[in-house]
Formats: sequence, structure tokens, C-alpha cells
Amino acid sequence: MAKRRTGKRAGGRAEREFVSEAEDILERMRRELADLSDARSAGRAVDPELVNCLFRSAHSLKGLAGMFGLDPVHDLAHRLEDVLDGLRLGRIALEAPALGAIEAASALFAELLGDVGDPEALRGHGAAVATLLERIAAVQAAPGAQAPAPATPGVDPALLRALTEYEEHRLRENLARGRALAVVEAGFELASFEEGLAELSDALREVGELIATLPAPGESSGTGIQFSLLVASDCSAAELAELVGERAEVRMATPAASGPTPAGAPVAPAAGRETPETESLQSISESVRVDIRKLDELMNLVGELVVARGALGELVGRLLSDPATGRAGGDLARIHRDIERRLRELQHAVLDVRMVPLRQLFEKVSRVVRKLRNELGKDVRLDLRGAETELDKFLVEEIADPLMHVVRNALDHALESPEERRAVGKEAQGTIRLAAFQRGNHVVIEVSDDGRGIDVRALRERAEALGLLRPGEVVPDEDLLDLVFTPGISTRAQVSETSGRGVGMDVVRHNLGRLGGAVEVDSKPGVGTTVSMTLPITLAIVQSLIVGVGEQRFAIPLTSVQETLLLEESAIQHSEGRAILNLRGEVLPVRWLRRELGLPEGAAPARLHLVVAGVGESRLGLLVDRLEGQRDTVVKPIQGPLAALRGIAGATELPGQGAVLVLDVAALLADALGWREAA
Amino acid sequence: VSAPEPAAPSRWEALAREAAGRGAGLAPTDAGVALLVFELAGALHALPVERVREIVRVRPVTPVPRVPAEVLGVTSLRGEIVQVIDLRRRLGLAAASLGRDSRVVVVGGERGAAGLLVDGVREVLFAGGADLLAPTAEARAVEALYRRGDRFVSVLDLDRLLDFDAAR
Repeated sequence: MAKRRTGKRAGGRAEREFVSEAEDILERMRRELADLSDARSAGRAVDPELVNCLFRSAHSLKGLAGMFGLDPVHDLAHRLEDVLDGLRLGRIALEAPALGAIEAASALFAELLGDVGDPEALRGHGAAVATLLERIAAVQAAPGAQAPAPATPGVDPALLRALTEYEEHRLRENLARGRALAVVEAGFELASFEEGLAELSDALREVGELIATLPAPGESSGTGIQFSLLVASDCSAAELAELVGERAEVRMATPAASGPTPAGAPVAPAAGRETPETESLQSISESVRVDIRKLDELMNLVGELVVARGALGELVGRLLSDPATGRAGGDLARIHRDIERRLRELQHAVLDVRMVPLRQLFEKVSRVVRKLRNELGKDVRLDLRGAETELDKFLVEEIADPLMHVVRNALDHALESPEERRAVGKEAQGTIRLAAFQRGNHVVIEVSDDGRGIDVRALRERAEALGLLRPGEVVPDEDLLDLVFTPGISTRAQVSETSGRGVGMDVVRHNLGRLGGAVEVDSKPGVGTTVSMTLPITLAIVQSLIVGVGEQRFAIPLTSVQETLLLEESAIQHSEGRAILNLRGEVLPVRWLRRELGLPEGAAPARLHLVVAGVGESRLGLLVDRLEGQRDTVVKPIQGPLAALRGIAGATELPGQGAVLVLDVAALLADALGWREAA
Repeated sequence: VSAPEPAAPSRWEALAREAAGRGAGLAPTDAGVALLVFELAGALHALPVERVREIVRVRPVTPVPRVPAEVLGVTSLRGEIVQVIDLRRRLGLAAASLGRDSRVVVVGGERGAAGLLVDGVREVLFAGGADLLAPTAEARAVEALYRRGDRFVSVLDLDRLLDFDAAR
């Protein structure tokens, strides 16, 4: 279902590119901000490079917005850049007021970007922008946390004078933390100094912070060049000397303060290499930003080639079967095989481009969790696994809302408050685990919590009240649990702001079903709940089984076909009037596809073809008149006024047959089997 | 404002395509609107040209199970799959019988393109505001009546035609 994006992002191409690039920058800023606040709350030393990165991000955003003429974003980014500059130079204290303002700004950026292309809505944010600018001004006006310049007797005053404001600030910071300051002097051949200097710098960054690198005056001869490197670390002179070896001389300027550095503060290595002043114009990454719509187009073209190839294959078959054309058919068959092989490679290559790791989505989830845990007063640890698992970009976007909903449920309903947890002997801090992994042609995303579990009894009462169950009816626990996917079943009377109104697990199941996936739940009282979402890796090109019913053909994605059987009608048994089949000792519910789709009755064929369809844990046998083989299909959305075609996932084009409907197996299963067995 | 000479039938297709392509020149203004006029059960009906994407000959339509009778099915239009609506039935008239002149008018709607089966396309004309009259009180999908000489052309409200949710 390569659904075309419509609506919201209808702006021009330049606009879309702006928004997409700006969103990337914003995403980066949020990540950096999250790292920063994590480091602070864990009491770790803040890596100065993080503040630098944030500063650069704000700077890029300002430049981008300026180029695009988006004044509110530009102005805000400009002032934010000032604040971040103040932070990195130590003029502004790295504390709550400044961090709060930066967080507020990143949230406002997101809103502004969402409304690009809608001048009316943008103007509507005017007041919020003005308020934030005032807040930023207040942060800037507050007295800074500048430590007084400590004495640095061991450093050449000429060298100190050459330091930039930033370097001075870092010097003060390091001395305030009691680190030892050393001057490392090294000489290099003029022809190759860059390499040698970079090696030495890297070695020094391993153990501490390289505050400044300055060319040393004096002895530089015609072929050599001397540098003085100002290094702050917890190493002694001897340790540093050993580290630099023959390359340089070490002079300690100030020894380390007595006693260890503040509790458990690891040395935060500076991650970046270049300072903003020397930032190269050449882009570091070799990747290209591509609009997903272009990939959709490319995919469609490949899909049509695949369909055309299918027609060629049929022609080859016809030529081969006729003795008169057999020779030509043989030649064509070779060419056809070659085309087929290359086409498959092309198809894989294009599919590969669409695949993205789940990391970004996971990061979004952890941002929401971080925000919500404060609001809800819950102590929770988020455990992320398999973030490198790749999924089609389109599916990553489609799965975002359902996933967020499930995670919010876990946080809001499943996890107890720290007090409740202590009372039942659990660790006060709850855990939500988000795990992704590949299973065959599917990706499974599991959300597990160690909360109170689903209250099966309450679920049962609710189901009886709704008339879904007879009082006292014996139902296995897993079937009861499956009731959470029934509309209107929510056991929570009140509507919480977190989990929202009217959107329940039934919507999650519906959305996943629409994508050819499934969702299942497992829960143990007092131990926790696991929700597993299964999705096909890509929807772009799928192998389908073509089946015939009467005059019509339908395509069933092979991902939901487990096997096909040829049956005598007598093999079908009945229970409560419903058709079932003994499939190797197991019960398989059976339905006539013709009746499920409400097609006119036709003459029953002597032998029946059964397609065993399965999604998640559920299976259903579908009886059809004919099996017409497997085909590569590009499933396309059906455009037109009727929004929901129940049981139809889309349509595909087959050579010589026009549009063929693709069945939505999950919906057919849900319809045929009702709530109790639906998956 | 007076309507220009109606375009010759042989030119309607080119005109419609041109108008649909450019849009701007024939966009609705206070002065009037460009209309594509077609026939349904012997009566003249019209849609604003700016909503018309193209006009195609009748092609094979794949029926879709469990939909209202006026939805004939889906068809493939150069790789896009669109629903085809029998406009006669949609308006409560007798079902269409396909003829030599039958055409599918492809329009742009909220949920993508849709094909409307009509008995035949007649012309593209520019309807001056003064000749657009309010429809009768019981009109459901007719937005205006255009006075063309002594005959009325029913100008349809496309969004209402395509709104299947409200009808249920």
C-alpha cells in the first residue's frame, strides 16, 4: 500500500525541502539536549562539545530559516544561538533557566515547522514567540556563573593572551574542577605536521580535554614548526610523558587538585574535531537527502517493470510450447532470465534505499516517555533494543502513532506509582522495554512493561456488560485478553489526557491490519504486559497468490499465506453450522471467499482449493475456485470517494487483467472469526 | 457577460484537457466559471472544468465486493487505481447503459481521483455569473442551473456527489 502522502505537506518543493532539513536539525538538537539533561541529572560532567553541537545546530537552523525568509524561526534561532554562545563561553550558567528556555524553544520550533506554508497559523504563534524571546532575554540578563580566573603560574602569559574567550572559559572550567593543566610542546616537519598534530591531539583527547593548540613562537626553523598544546586532564606529568612518548615534551603548569574529582565524574571526551571557526564547508556525510515521494515513484516504476517482465515471461512460455517458434522462444528465454535477474537486483536496491533503522522512532518514543514520566509522577526506565532493525520508511511513519499509543498505555495504565510498586515488593523504578527484531519477512516490535498486568476480571465484567460474553461462560485467558482489541472495551472509566479519548487498542489493531500486520497481547497479573506488533518489512512490492472466484480474480499477499491445499468437499466438517477442517490434527476454521465477499453464488467445483491464511497467531482457511499462481505485485491504494473498502487492502495491475483487488487478510480474519479468535 | 460560442464537439476534448492542465485561465471568477457539459439520461449536466483531470473512454472495470450499487468498481488509469461511479445511479436515475458516446470523466476529489461514468460529453463553455440561477428547493447535488438558451444545464456540486459518508 504505497499510499501517497497528501494534505498537510502540500507546500511547494522548496518548502518541503526546508521543512525536512529543518526537522533533521531539530531532531539533532533534541537529541543533544536530551544527552545534556541526562548528563546533568546523572551528575556527570557535561561534555563541552555537546553545548558546541547545540550551538552549531541553532546556527544552522538560523541560516536555513533566514534563507527561506521564515522570520519567527530565524529570530528565535538567532536568540537561541546567543544563549548557547553564552553557555559555551560560561557567560550564562548551565542550569535550569537556560535549559528550560532551550527546551521550550525546540518545542516551539516543532510547532512553527508544522505550520510552514500556512501564514495564518504562523501568525498565530506570534505571541508564543514573543513570550519565549522575553524569557530568553531574562536568561541572558541573569548574572553568569563565571568563575574568577585562577592563577596559572606555570603557563607563559603570552600563551594565555592568545586564548579565545571560549578557550579561556574551558581553562577556567577545568581548573575549577581540579584538573591538572599541562603544556605539551611538540615540533613537526612542516610538510607533514597536520598528520602528526592530529595524531598527538587524538592521543591527548583520550585522557583529557585539549583546550587550545597554538603555534609556538621562536625556534621554528625553515623546515619545522612548533606547537604548544594546552591540555587539562587528571594525569600526572609522568603519565602524560609516557603517552606522548618521543613526540613531545610535557610541562605541568598546575598539578591536579588534591583528592579525586567530583563523585564518579568520568572524563568527558570531546567528540568533535573542529571548532565552529574552522568548520569545513565541505559536507562530512556522503549521504543525499531524498524526498520519500521520489522513492515511491521509483518504486512504482520498478513495479511496473516487474509487471511488464511478467508479461514477457508468459510470451516466452507460449513461444516455447509451440514447435514452430521453439528456437526463438529459447533465445528469448535466455534474455528473459537475464532481465529477470537484473530486475530483481534493481528491485532489491530500490527497496534497500527505502529501509531506515527504527532508531529515530525509538528516540521519539523515549522523548515522549521522558516528558510523560514527570507529568505522571512515575519512575520508569526505558530499555531500547534492536533500534538498528530496518523497516520501510513508509511503515516507520505509519507505525509511529500505534506504537506511541501502546507505550503511553504502558506508562499511564500499566505501570504503578513508585509507592504502589514498593508496597508489592517491586523495585520502585518500573521498566518499559522496547524491542525490535526481524522474523522472516516481518519486523516485530514488542513493548513490554513490568507493571500490574491487565485486569482480566474487569475485562470479563465489561465484556459481559456489553453482551460479548454470557455470564459464567468459560473462555481461555488468552481469548479474554484479546478482548482489549474490542471497540469500547476500555476498562478505564476516566479518560486520561495521556492515552487520549476514543483511541483504543481496537484502532491499533485496525491500523496494523491495514498494513498487513497484526498485534497481540500477553499479560500476567502483577508481572507485566507485552504487546507485540508484527509488520511486513515493506509494502512496496509483494509476492501475491492470485486466486479465482467465479469470474473474478483476487490477490492474496504471500506474507499471509501459510499453505494451499486441494480438497474434496467431503473433507469439510461442521461445528455449530460453521465449516472446519482437520488440518494435521488441528482445527482450522474454513470460509468460502465467495460468501465472505458477498459475491453471487456459482456452480461449486468438484474439488476445492483451500488457501490457509494466517496473520499473527490466527489462521483461516479460505475456499476459492481456482489458484492462478504467484505474481510480483505492487499494491496501490484505491482512490475515490469510498474511503473504506472492507476486506480490500488495495489493488494491483496484472498484465492483460487490468486492476485486481488485493485482499486485506487481517480484516477478513477479523470479520470471519469475530472477536474471540480475531487477530 | 455573455457566453462565447460553444466549442465544436470535436474540440471539447482538447479544450477540456487544456483547461484542466492550466486551470488558471478558466478558474472560477466573480464573472463566471468554465463548465464541462455532459449528458445523463437525456438531460444536460455540468461540472467545473477546473475539477476535471481528464476524459477517457470506458475501460474494463473490476467490480468491488460489498459497496453501494452506484460504485461500479475500480479501474487502472496509467498506474493509478481509481473508483468508477455510475453518475446516473448516484443521482438516483436509472442505471447507465453503455453506448458509443459513454465516457469516464476523471475528477479530483478529497480522497484522490475518481471516475464518473456519463452518457456522453458535449462541450466546454464559460458560464457567466448572470446566467447561473439558484436550483430548485429540493435539489440535492445540483449547485446551480445554468441558462443556456432555452435549456437548463444542471451544474453539479462535485464535493457533495463524492461525499458517500453523508449519504449514509
